[in-house]
Amino acid sequence: MTSLRIRRGGRAPVPEATQGLVLHSDWQRPSVRWGLGGAQLLLLVLLVVGGLGPILWLAKSAITPTQDTLIKPIAVFPHGVDLSNLSNAWTQVDVGRYLLNTIEIAAGSWLSQIIVSTTGAYALSVLRPKWGSLIMGALLTTLFVPSVVLLVPLYIEVVHPPLIGGSYVNSYWAIWLPAGASAFNVVLMKRFFDNLPREIFEAARIDGAGPLRLFISVVLPMSKPILGVVSIFAVLASWKDFLWPLLVLTDASKQPLSVRLPTIQGQTDLGVFLAAMLIACLVPIVGFLVFQRSFLRGSGLGGALKG
Amino acid sequence: MAAIRFNGVSKVYADGTCAVEALDLEIGEGEFMVFVGPSGCGKTTALRMVAGLEQISGGEILIGERAVNDVSPKDRDIAMVFQNYALYPHMTVAQNLAFGLKLRSLGRAEIDRRVRDAAAALDLQDHLERKPKALSGGQRQRVALGRAIVREPAAFLMDEPLSNLDAALRVQTRAEILGLQKRLGTTTIYVTHDQVEAMTMGDRIAVMRRGVLQQLGTPEELYTRPANTFVATFIGSPAMNVLPAAALGIGPDSLLAGFRPEHVALGPAADGHFSFEATVEVVEYLGDERIAHLRLGERPLVAKLAVEQQLERGSTATFSVAPRSTIFFDARTGAASGAPV
Repeated sequence: MTSLRIRRGGRAPVPEATQGLVLHSDWQRPSVRWGLGGAQLLLLVLLVVGGLGPILWLAKSAITPTQDTLIKPIAVFPHGVDLSNLSNAWTQVDVGRYLLNTIEIAAGSWLSQIIVSTTGAYALSVLRPKWGSLIMGALLTTLFVPSVVLLVPLYIEVVHPPLIGGSYVNSYWAIWLPAGASAFNVVLMKRFFDNLPREIFEAARIDGAGPLRLFISVVLPMSKPILGVVSIFAVLASWKDFLWPLLVLTDASKQPLSVRLPTIQGQTDLGVFLAAMLIACLVPIVGFLVFQRSFLRGSGLGGALKG
Repeated sequence: MAAIRFNGVSKVYADGTCAVEALDLEIGEGEFMVFVGPSGCGKTTALRMVAGLEQISGGEILIGERAVNDVSPKDRDIAMVFQNYALYPHMTVAQNLAFGLKLRSLGRAEIDRRVRDAAAALDLQDHLERKPKALSGGQRQRVALGRAIVREPAAFLMDEPLSNLDAALRVQTRAEILGLQKRLGTTTIYVTHDQVEAMTMGDRIAVMRRGVLQQLGTPEELYTRPANTFVATFIGSPAMNVLPAAALGIGPDSLLAGFRPEHVALGPAADGHFSFEATVEVVEYLGDERIAHLRLGERPLVAKLAVEQQLERGSTATFSVAPRSTIFFDARTGAASGAPV
């Protein structure tokens, strides 16, 4: 049973289970309050400096004149702000086009990973074909193969796709199709589907839902948290992927920012280059902040079952 | 509504476990049939076979005149209420109720009418736009019932629908389900392990044990004429006392004598009653009666006494039972037997 603690000031009781490992009574002891509190503060500062520091420096440098960044890289705007870096990045480096390329590649990779992982996991977890456990074992085995080992055979497949003919080089399909073949996503998704209550599936079957309707109207809406997790993994992995796009997208006009920016680094003004990098970073950060709450909160099973 | 018939239905799992053994049973049109028994007796498996959620290993199930062994759940024209509600958490109450109707391609007006009627019947009108997580346990169970009744199926299948409700709500919902079933007249199979629920709700009760049907009858038949010692002790609370007839001096060793706690009277035998002396172990005061836990030699037994009749713990007293209230069972098979010769 969850015990309750009444907070001072007559506020609502707080379940003890939400208090963490250190109880309220322990916090009253000065040694715990100063020792643990100090350690928490130090950890927070270190995390902020380590995690947020480089991004803040990038943001600062992106709107600082290049000379200031070169001479005093840590100083905060010693000779004012230079917003022209951002506009130059957009016009000179053509960041807008590469940003669109990156978005197109990330969206396709995301879609292909979501389609493959959800349908694969649904088949293995809910439909359970006769040889499902064997397929699952084979999927797990592929997790132990380093991706670098697959680079050459995958490249050969993309250059000479079997049965289809032609070549996918300089086509986004060269990125989208291999991205879908992620055993990790299928395993992750299957574990989530395994924990969805079977009674709800049975209720849907009695209500008249076939396998496709069950998948679309019941399983997917109940799986928002895992869809969010896989989406974030998929978009971030695609956004920062360098090696594979470099190999299969040799046409500069089709390259994403992750490939294009290192290529132009030598012939671009540092301030403009940093501004272009800031634009490249901001999109996934803002996307994560916008979507993480709706995706990651709650399991989506509220009230479905007596718990 | 439709009759449901089990013709020698069996369920054997891959590991060889026999969950249901050659079940023969007919449930009449509009009848409220209760499957009751302890955990693992096969009652839920039998229900799930009717629903199409379990494959049938042998025999045949008929809904109406149609054998449904190979018919998918959605085409059996049944609706099921689950123990754990099994509501769709991402849908509102109205969407939960309408889901099955939309899948059957009913018109919008017809769906709205049925949802409105079901909500009115179950007092859910004010909650139609809420999601299940915003409802209490009783309201969720009513939504689960509503999802069944909007379909207007040939039969309701209910798998321990009250077991997650608290005692007071259970009594109230029990009456609501019974009232609803009588009003709609839909054939119903209701699974429970609670014999009080079975006795109060069922037109007839099927008592099961280890996959085998022990007895089928009305609540009164089961209570007054149990077919064996299992039914005798399972139905009724406190359970029927079953002792060797020889220990009571009323029959041979080959018979067991069974009598209900309420048929035990405090005091010596009169009018042909038989009597025995027993030690009082514990007396439970229930307000309107006392339950005395007694010991006759090494054998425990229970007496239901009037509240005025006071007994001291550890004392010895004489009790009597009328022979007409006593049922005899074969000591070897446990089956009900005639009176001793």
